[in-house]
Parts: sequence; structure tokens; C-alpha cells
Amino acid sequence: MSNGTAESPFSPSAEKSEILSNNPSAFLSQITGAKVAVKLNSGVEYRGDLQCVDGYMNIALEQTEEYVDGVLKNQYGDVFIRGNNVLYISSI
Amino acid sequence: MATSQLLPLELVDKCVGSRIWVVMKTDREFSGTLLGFDDFVNMVLEDVTEYDNLGNQTHLEKILLNGNNICMLIPGGEPGGEAGTE
Repeated sequence: MSNGTAESPFSPSAEKSEILSNNPSAFLSQITGAKVAVKLNSGVEYRGDLQCVDGYMNIALEQTEEYVDGVLKNQYGDVFIRGNNVLYISSI
Repeated sequence: MATSQLLPLELVDKCVGSRIWVVMKTDREFSGTLLGFDDFVNMVLEDVTEYDNLGNQTHLEKILLNGNNICMLIPGGEPGGEAGTE
């Protein structure tokens, strides 16, 4: 078995499978359904249950709390966040 | 020799599993352990410290950082650490 030949950085070998499972798409499937914090480029943060994410980082949250400068400002049942605004998604 | 050439993203791939310092286009920085990344250089980071424009530090367990606003990556570096003299 020669799986060490002609590998690109994007096709990690089997020994690196634990690293592979931490690629962005794998991380997203790990945290889908869990409570997350989404920070936008503006600095506003949304905390809620992650319903789904797509390749654009468009995000659907439920039971969402909106934090502006760390202070709770609003609460929403359902929120759609357009992906271009997303700075990061964090598990909490 | 062609193999002595290192592609930029191969350098990033070498950093998987180690600490990395991420400087954003805006006045914001992150340092954490790089767990993975994709073709857009979206990055999964663990044990992260976020540094905002006011100098505030926030600790984050595990994040997916959007690659869109990343400016520079410094392997092994920490803001204010040995590799980073601000």
C-alpha cells in the first residue's frame, strides 16, 4: 500500500485521519445542532442553536440571542445570517 | 530542483497541529492551534485567543474562522510573543 505518493496537502493520508476530521466541513457537521456563537465582521455576536450551514457560511440559528459589545440586545426565534458577514463560528 | 519549491498552502499545511498567529485585514488578530483548513483558507482553530482593535482578549474553545478577511499567517507566532514584536 503506497498511499504516501503524489499527495497534495488537501488529500491527507490515512495516518492523518484525525486531522482530516478537523477540516472546516467536518467541524461544521460536528457542531450542527449544538449551541454556537457566530461573530460578524461588525463585532455583533449571535448565540443560538445551529440549524444548518452551507458552503457560503450562510447560517440558520434558532433560539438566538444578539449581543452588541457583549451586551444582550435582542432575542429571536429564528435567524438567517448571510455568510459574507461571518467572521467566525465558535462552539460554546 | 522542483521539489525544493514550497507552495504557500503547503506551508500552511505544515502548520496543522501547531500554534499559528492569524492577522486579519481589519484590526483583529487570532492565535490558536491549527486543526485544519480548506482551499479558501477557512481555518479550524482550537484554544484560541482573539485580540480586537481595542486590545481586548477573548478566549474561544474551537472556532471556524472565515478565510475571507485573513491577511497574514505567522507559524508558531503569538502576538507579543517571541515571534511577534508588536
